[in-house]
Amino acid sequence: MRIGSAKQSYLADQALFDSTPQRAWFGVLLLALVAFPFMANEYWLYLACLVGLNIVSTTGLNLLTGYTGLVSLGQAAFMGLGAYTVAILQVRYGSPFLLNLLAGGIVAMLGGILVGLPSLRVKGLYLAIATIAAGFMTHFLFAHWAGITGGNGGMTVPPARLFGAELDTSFRLYWVIAPIMILMVFGAANLFRTRIGRAFIAIRDRDISAAVLGIPLMPYKLMSFAISSFYAGVAGGLFAYFFRVVTPESFPLLMSIFFLAAVIVGGMGTISGSIFGAIFMTLVPELLKLIVGWLPLGDNATLVLSPVRTIVFGSMIVLFLIFEPHGLAEIWRRIRRLFHLWPFRT
Amino acid sequence: MLRTHLKKWITSLAVTSVLAAASSAWAQEDIVLGGSIPLTGVFAFAGIGIDAGIKDYLKIVNDAGGVKGRKLRYVPEDTGYKVDASMAAFKKITSQNKVSLYYADSTGFSKTVNPELERSGAMLMTGASFGKELNDPKKYPLQFMVGPDYSEMVGILLNYIAKAKPGAKVAIVYSDTEFGRDPIEAARTSIKKLGLNLVTEIVTAPGSVDVSSEVIKLRRADPDYTIFHGYILAPIPEFVTQAKALGMKTAFMGTFWSMDNSTVMKMGDSADGFMGVMPYRYYYDTDGKSPMLEKIRQLHPEYQSTAYTQGFLSAMLMTEAVKRTLDAGKPLDGKNMKAALNSIANFDTGGLIGTPITIKGNSIPVGRIYKADMKQKKMLPVSDWITLEQ
Repeated sequence: MRIGSAKQSYLADQALFDSTPQRAWFGVLLLALVAFPFMANEYWLYLACLVGLNIVSTTGLNLLTGYTGLVSLGQAAFMGLGAYTVAILQVRYGSPFLLNLLAGGIVAMLGGILVGLPSLRVKGLYLAIATIAAGFMTHFLFAHWAGITGGNGGMTVPPARLFGAELDTSFRLYWVIAPIMILMVFGAANLFRTRIGRAFIAIRDRDISAAVLGIPLMPYKLMSFAISSFYAGVAGGLFAYFFRVVTPESFPLLMSIFFLAAVIVGGMGTISGSIFGAIFMTLVPELLKLIVGWLPLGDNATLVLSPVRTIVFGSMIVLFLIFEPHGLAEIWRRIRRLFHLWPFRT
Repeated sequence: MLRTHLKKWITSLAVTSVLAAASSAWAQEDIVLGGSIPLTGVFAFAGIGIDAGIKDYLKIVNDAGGVKGRKLRYVPEDTGYKVDASMAAFKKITSQNKVSLYYADSTGFSKTVNPELERSGAMLMTGASFGKELNDPKKYPLQFMVGPDYSEMVGILLNYIAKAKPGAKVAIVYSDTEFGRDPIEAARTSIKKLGLNLVTEIVTAPGSVDVSSEVIKLRRADPDYTIFHGYILAPIPEFVTQAKALGMKTAFMGTFWSMDNSTVMKMGDSADGFMGVMPYRYYYDTDGKSPMLEKIRQLHPEYQSTAYTQGFLSAMLMTEAVKRTLDAGKPLDGKNMKAALNSIANFDTGGLIGTPITIKGNSIPVGRIYKADMKQKKMLPVSDWITLEQ
């Protein structure tokens, strides 16, 4: 029985994983991720890629909302900036895939810094409304700057190429999306072991106290917006390569709400929450579809149960908020504690 | 020696019978029509009709023995009118079935799925989109639309206007969406070409409610005809009611998705005389010979929407492409089926479209102008069938 993580050195305190079993389980997870594409069909590979890029974007938003306490409804706009940057670079200049992704992240980051400026004066719902404006502005830009963005029709993106291989199937894209996702999740986890990450948390907990403690609010808030939108930009870039089409209407406000819901359902202020939230929001509607498909209700099952499925999904979100406001990450933490402390109760 | 010959003979007989059995099994294999159908979400009103239309037509075909003895099997998935969900549905359906035909729910999905469609080369696709961009056989070689594209719809309206009132003043009101902006450039060109006079263009948010300032702008322009595009219902009723209250005499017009009988009737009494382009005959249209409409009326005594007709006709044309491909002894792949579809000339849709159709490219540029009669609660034809040159 393990009743806690005894840390006897600074090195142990700084380690990403608390214990050897954790490291072993992470190894198992990596092996599963490597084996998955060889066992899954096209549908599950598609969903895995979708989950991967949603995890990147949700992690980015969690850095901003969950860790820094700055509510944003502009995540889709930043994804759009990343996606269009990648599309333009790929279509017009045929520049390398990874460079395009990086550029997508940087352009989104610059957009994030601009949109983050009001966060110095307003917060909470007021900031949320201010960030919604980002969506309107980017939509206008994408739709009307037709010479660059292709206007209403958007842009068709050729498949990404890496080391001469064309990434034109979900199977091939998986090998790019999954490592980038792991890298970015680790990046976020590491951030909170640095001065910057801890400053974000201090700002979230009480910004005035943070300022009194000597944390300058302006640079850190803008830094949080920058990092968060960099994540969104990279996710948007992956989106462009994944769907191969970007249009002004690919990044609606509803998409930002989707990511905010993923952060809340997964667990605000936890990295695992970002992962659980993105998985939940992407896969639960699909799983509900599968369940509906299994029910022996004849040809009209889809027609009859589709609205019911939507209601069930909505209700699940509401129930989570009522009974587990700390999200899926908290449930996961309790499950882990149950095993750690068994046969004692938590 | 004899034993060796006998062995060879038995082996070849066995191989032949296995191949024959396999080919006979293949011959009996169902032809699958997959569908990303919006049964929930903002487009569900149409999706439910489309779903019913496809199901009914396939039932008629299957009850009559299928196509060359092969049954057609419909595999739909709800998408909620979201592109990622539509793609997931596509992947799910195509990874679990050998799909030959597919129904797509939106312009966004049709564009997104196109590289995948071309890569597999196995399917022929149609759908709910009438986006002008899809009407390009080079860019979208395996897709087509069951009717005119949005630019052609507005073109049909403008042709009617030019004939009814040469040199008429025209206004266009459209939503600030991809859907709304789709035909505007082409409309400007057609207006000029037909000698009409474009007096104003008004852009609104989709589904906006307060349009009083836009109505004042419209009154100032004083058009003879006002064409709405990019809306289903709102803000058309607000425009029509306020314009009538201001004493305006302009004739209001719409395109396909705002032209269903139930949609127009929801606009209220002030929409009496509302006109628009419709590529299909309405459910209750008894004008001319229409055995397929008769069949639909027998199946459903109650009104069936124009979305239903769209789904029904989509299934009919895809089935026709399958039939022609199989008749020619060619494999059922996207390229062959598209070529078979494009070989359709002067085809009788059983009266669903009131004139024989020819499919050269990716659209069927034909339509008729109907006008709302609020007393009868019906859309009545005010023009003959208008076919644009492809």
